[in-house]
Amino acid sequence: MKSRLLTTVAIFAAASALACTLPVLADDFGRDRDHGHDHDNDRDHYRHAHDIHTETPIKHLVIIFNENRSFDHYFATYPNAANPSGSIPFVPKPHTPKVNNLANANLLVNNPNNNPANGTGATDPFRLDRTQANTRSQNHAYTPEQQAVDNGKEDLFPKFTGRGTAGGAGAFGTNGQVMGYFDGNTVTALWNYAQHFAMSDNNWTDTFGPSTPGVLEVVAGQTNGVQNVIGTSSSIADGQGGLTLTGDTDPGNDACSSKTSTMLMDGKNIGDLLTDERISWGSFMGGFDLTLKNANGTTGCARSTFSSNVNGTIVDYIPHHAFFQYHKATANPTHARPSSVHAIGHTHDFNGKVDPANHNYDLEDFYAAVKAGNFPAVSYIKMPAYQDGHAGNSDPLDEQAGNVELINFLQKQPEWRETAVIITYDDSDGWYDHQYVAPKNASYDPTADQVNGSGLCGLGPNRQPAPNGLVGKPVNGRCGPGTRVPLIVVSPYARTNYVSHNYTTQASVVRFIEDNWLRGKRLGGGAFDAGAGSLMDLFDFDQDHRHDLRADALFLDPTSGTVMTSPPDEHHHH
Amino acid sequence: MTSRTLWLLGAGLLCLAGAVFAAGTQGFAEANPVGTNPNPVRLMRPPTAPLSSMALLGKEIFYDASLSSSGAVSCASCHSPDHAYGPANDGPVMLGGATLSRQGARAVPSLTYLDRHPNFSIGPDKGDDDNIIDLAQMAALGRQATRTTKTAGSSGASANIVPQGGLFWDGRADTLQDQALFPLLDPNEMDGGSAGIVADRLRRAPYVNRFVELFGAGVLRNQRLLIAEAMFAVARYQVEDVSFHPYTSKYDYWLEGKARLTESELRGLQAFNDPDKANCAGCHTSAPTRDGLPPLFTDHQYEALGAPRNTALAGNRDPDHFDLGVCGPQRTDISEQTQYCGMFLTPTLRNTAVRHAFFHNGVFSTLEQVLDFYNFRDTNPEKVFPRAADGTVLKYNDLPQKYHANVDVTDPPFDRHPGNRPAMTEQDEADIIAFLKTLTDGYRVEN
Repeated sequence: MKSRLLTTVAIFAAASALACTLPVLADDFGRDRDHGHDHDNDRDHYRHAHDIHTETPIKHLVIIFNENRSFDHYFATYPNAANPSGSIPFVPKPHTPKVNNLANANLLVNNPNNNPANGTGATDPFRLDRTQANTRSQNHAYTPEQQAVDNGKEDLFPKFTGRGTAGGAGAFGTNGQVMGYFDGNTVTALWNYAQHFAMSDNNWTDTFGPSTPGVLEVVAGQTNGVQNVIGTSSSIADGQGGLTLTGDTDPGNDACSSKTSTMLMDGKNIGDLLTDERISWGSFMGGFDLTLKNANGTTGCARSTFSSNVNGTIVDYIPHHAFFQYHKATANPTHARPSSVHAIGHTHDFNGKVDPANHNYDLEDFYAAVKAGNFPAVSYIKMPAYQDGHAGNSDPLDEQAGNVELINFLQKQPEWRETAVIITYDDSDGWYDHQYVAPKNASYDPTADQVNGSGLCGLGPNRQPAPNGLVGKPVNGRCGPGTRVPLIVVSPYARTNYVSHNYTTQASVVRFIEDNWLRGKRLGGGAFDAGAGSLMDLFDFDQDHRHDLRADALFLDPTSGTVMTSPPDEHHHH
Repeated sequence: MTSRTLWLLGAGLLCLAGAVFAAGTQGFAEANPVGTNPNPVRLMRPPTAPLSSMALLGKEIFYDASLSSSGAVSCASCHSPDHAYGPANDGPVMLGGATLSRQGARAVPSLTYLDRHPNFSIGPDKGDDDNIIDLAQMAALGRQATRTTKTAGSSGASANIVPQGGLFWDGRADTLQDQALFPLLDPNEMDGGSAGIVADRLRRAPYVNRFVELFGAGVLRNQRLLIAEAMFAVARYQVEDVSFHPYTSKYDYWLEGKARLTESELRGLQAFNDPDKANCAGCHTSAPTRDGLPPLFTDHQYEALGAPRNTALAGNRDPDHFDLGVCGPQRTDISEQTQYCGMFLTPTLRNTAVRHAFFHNGVFSTLEQVLDFYNFRDTNPEKVFPRAADGTVLKYNDLPQKYHANVDVTDPPFDRHPGNRPAMTEQDEADIIAFLKTLTDGYRVEN
């Protein structure tokens, strides 16, 4: 009773403070909060994220986990775009900090990849125009990515990870395509976010390899502990009698998964810890709700969307990207629906029964829950596949539209002032990135590991043992860090036009959640969250944000990625 | 991307085709005398925007005759914007070369409606990259698989392991940028000479600064890159400029409920879609996709139809010369796949009524001749093919005897035999031609 009263008082205070500057938002704020409290009772499941103790002012974390772009592939010349005539010019802000990219490393010409070992794919890096957004996906398997590194020379990308578009001319038609990079004339929104908020130029995947390992790292920090469910999985023997995942495999028992190859993971993920502490959280994936019908009539696992950019109809839900479906305790294999919009994010429904959705929802549910004043504390977002950024089924322009629409929406919410959005990536797709970091997590599989020589990722088992797996013994298959990928924080508390050079990885996201909500508790079982770098450098929590909400928002045009002067209208889909 | 994703395209398209057909063919003439579509749909046309810098560069190249040896031929000479980017002349082929006296090898295809054209593959429709099966392997699989008969509205086509996609009559180019270079260098067409000569001409072109702007100064030093980017620009012009895919035919507006078809046009549409009559839609798909994309009037597959030889072509003076399409001689990479000898790409029928050259060899100059060919090839071949000195009809005389078995004799109306009743009456043919004329772009909607 007492805490409820206090909360209400606090809300009135906040609402009247807002009313001075932003009457429209204040109105929403009051309505939504009251709405939430209509249903409040003593049970844990209606603990509002705003009321939960956090280490920082961040009460809502939204992780937009995009697909398949390396840092240099998107930021090679940041903050300077080519601005060809007819383009919307990208004008960098003065005093933009230097980032570690191709331009500043002097690698745009005389690049080591322009060497005969790469055959017809040998080329210097080259600009990809906005009109060339639809590229081929490159090779992003565990071993070829290590081979491209070539013991730190970073000079064999065309040979090992390059792929050309069939029939594409020039570098587009050869493995040299892997050397292409976009600039602010194409990835305009990400460049704008970087200019107004904070970005890392030293953020990495925890291991080499494709989507599923990346997905597991960002929720569990662990790829060891594979249990095959159907057939075999894309894993290797860990040297201790178990398996470590190095490739993509669908989650076991998911209604939409492959019928010939699935697996589940042992161990815990961040969802388990949040559930234990009764903190609301959810996975929100495009295509997850099997009961919806898309505009083109598709339904169930086959829901799909046409993209004019990639010129194809793309299935929305990709099982091997499903964050929490790999661990039994956090899975919703039948894609059961939440009992109500107010149950979203919570373990129990309003009546105290276990909610069938078990924290796994559709992206549409995220919009619905936030609109209903039920914004979870921690939200993992996967765009429908045509907007996930993965070359081949998506592209930077569709990715931009999906990301910007979501962030514009969030910036209009009263909760924005205590929200942080992290945009980052599951893997690099194999796209060229020049930076080498010697392996921090060693692995010595005789065929799969190749960074420092055949069977070598690290200095050798004696000088640099492999990290411990789930059962506390050194395991193979976790060679990393893998590849450098973008990470941007969009938040009123993000530093402004700031570039962090602190070393972080996907597991740093897990650590941030633990540090903010769980008093620094760790997953254990050899998970990478224990040693992951901190993301706190990207934030400035000393800023006073109470009177300057509008200045903390950056509304962008979803199509062009350029700055809009006034907030856009609601998207009609949501 | 998983293979699942693109599979859908084909399957769904055909499902919807069924629905629209059912709705679209319910007693047009009688029950629907006003001629409007009883079930209007919303067509999703490609987004339009001002041409990008890339496309503007491509447009300059497209109209640049200085790239040809004669100084008189540009892309637009054979792909005339006033003729749906097809040939402007009345002959079977166009003339090119240094003195504009050399015949091109085949009838000039239209450049319209190629924006959704898939790359060349040997079916069935498949998605991604991760498991690449080469053409020879797919061809071998195709030989073992039974082919599904293609009828309008059925789902046979997408499952067939047959060649599909690709540009030119034989699919030898995968993308528009790949395609654009062939006519530029072909001695019978623009006769550009060599990559070196073309690159020199590009370096002297008035639009040379656009290259530097878009690709950096280094592009002028790198001949391979310069030509590649030039061809990409041409392709991008074709992708961006709405005139290459306007979807402004009377039929498009009819689909949307904004135009009325005449009784003859409606009967033509019905016969076009009717598996027991012309069955045109078995290959020339006439229904919008389930995503609401306007129909392209092609399934992008290849067929051997056995069209008669065109004696007006200079190359055909040699009795041993045969144009075998997918298996050569212009295309050279799968010539050993002889089951494809005689196969040519099914073209779009949009704007077909403005053409004067039909089939790969331009043997027909009117739609009446084309319809007669479909109608009488098997029931009355003497109406279509010439006779030998001894009076026997020379059926499939543009194909060596050993490849006659490749010719399609299963898809209606080609499943008939001498003595059978032809699939179409004279009235049917006239109606279908009336319908085909509704596929010409530039129709003005009343009010």
